[in-house]
Amino acid sequence: MEKPDEVIRKRLLIDGDGAGDDRRINLLVKSFIKWCNSGSQEEGYSQYQRMLSTLSQCEFSMGKTLLVYDMNLREMENYEKIYKEIECSIAGAHEKIAECKKQILQAKRIRKNRQEYDALAKVIQHHPDRHETLKELEALGKELEHLSHIKESVEDKLELRRKQFHVLLSTIHELQQTLENDEKLSEVEEAQETSMETDPKP
Amino acid sequence: MERAVPPAVPLGQMEVFQALQRLHMTIFSQSVSPCGKFLAAGNNYGQIAIFSLSAALSSEAKEESKKPIVTFQAHDGPVYSMVSTDRHLLSAGDGEVKAWLWAEILKKGCKELWRRQPPYRTSLEVPEINALLLVPKENSLILAGGDCQLHTMDLETGTFTRALRGHTDYIHCLALRERSPEVLSGGEDGAVRLWDLRTAREVQTIEVYKHEECSRPHNGRWIGCLATDSDWMVCGGGPALTLWHLRSSTPTTVFPMRAPQKHVTFYQDLILSAGQGRCVNQWQLSGELKAQVPGSSPGLLSLSLNQQPAAPECKVLTAAGNSCRVDVFTNLGYRAFSLSF
Repeated sequence: MEKPDEVIRKRLLIDGDGAGDDRRINLLVKSFIKWCNSGSQEEGYSQYQRMLSTLSQCEFSMGKTLLVYDMNLREMENYEKIYKEIECSIAGAHEKIAECKKQILQAKRIRKNRQEYDALAKVIQHHPDRHETLKELEALGKELEHLSHIKESVEDKLELRRKQFHVLLSTIHELQQTLENDEKLSEVEEAQETSMETDPKP
Repeated sequence: MERAVPPAVPLGQMEVFQALQRLHMTIFSQSVSPCGKFLAAGNNYGQIAIFSLSAALSSEAKEESKKPIVTFQAHDGPVYSMVSTDRHLLSAGDGEVKAWLWAEILKKGCKELWRRQPPYRTSLEVPEINALLLVPKENSLILAGGDCQLHTMDLETGTFTRALRGHTDYIHCLALRERSPEVLSGGEDGAVRLWDLRTAREVQTIEVYKHEECSRPHNGRWIGCLATDSDWMVCGGGPALTLWHLRSSTPTTVFPMRAPQKHVTFYQDLILSAGQGRCVNQWQLSGELKAQVPGSSPGLLSLSLNQQPAAPECKVLTAAGNSCRVDVFTNLGYRAFSLSF
């Protein structure tokens, strides 16, 4: 039931393009029938020539349409190829973008590390150089040793003097004691003598 | 108010109240869902709103996509801090920490899974919890706040395992140092203390206000924000925003920002900070200001970077503070749009 619709649709589609072709074929058929029914030979010959020319025109237009059809097919293939190429290059660009994003992250990390290093370096710069501090420390250490030696020797001398004075003082003290003892002894003897002198009368 | 009300419609009491609420709202905390597509924001009324980032960022986003998909009353007091584990949303504010299942919230069933209160020394006054920190290696949660202690809670059993004491005034912020499992805490007493989790002892103390380069006595000594990158730490607040080298406890770079900063974080090779003042500041480690991008709130209190691997298309920076809006930055260079309560 849909066949006449299809046929009409097809004919309308085709007709839109080459309105002359369909009419030409109809004319050809009519002129063929006329030629079959024609009388004189000249007319017949001219009609025959006319028919041949119409036929060749039809063949020409058919050839053109075939060529156009071929061309369209090849254009389609060409477009397919270009489409695939573009798809590939889009995928490639996506990958490159991902790569570049990774590189950006890496570069940001590097920048961050560099800035951290700079920040620490600034702080470190404020502090004095280690060699100088070590040298100062050594010099101070030597001075300290030297001074402690001097202190030790002075202390030893002091001890010695102290001991010598101690010996001196104790000897003096002993001598004093002995002298006092002697004095006491001589006093006691004198007292005894005087008591004996006052006590002889019984 | 952002929207003009047509004069023909009389404003009902409810609408006036809601408009006033939005005017005086402060958003204290944000947290990204484990799938990366949703953002939770907690405000000073104790409400938590869930925004759909994937809807707001998609090409056919309308005005409604910038509104929350669900809002619920989570706490009686302000929600100061929120974190997300791979299935739960943990929120804390007025002395309690509550857990919510993300899957439930997204289906609009807003019932809390559990609530816990750390053992406080006095039961009279319940101190607020200012900061939450997840320690994934131990599967535990650290809470810190008004009672000057850091409490560790095991997430599986819900028991409070340690209480680290050392701060002399309330604690503002926490940070985790991944390599050696240490926690840094910054508080109102001006000191940043490092705690070793295995021995439960204070390992290092940095009294920021004692260093001349960064102290600003006219602002106070409080440490409002803390972020760490294993060897380095950046802290700010009363004293100027400074980058410290932790092993030598020396301040290496002072960032020239006058306004006290309330939130700071490391991102790639930059340091992002926000505080009093409209802008999100981007600093290089050398101390140079790379960019200052203005947001829509007069002051910013929290920044959140959505780096969940499951949703790379929602990789945005969100900033929220003294208004009912959450600014979304798709590219660090400019503010794309704002979500609003």
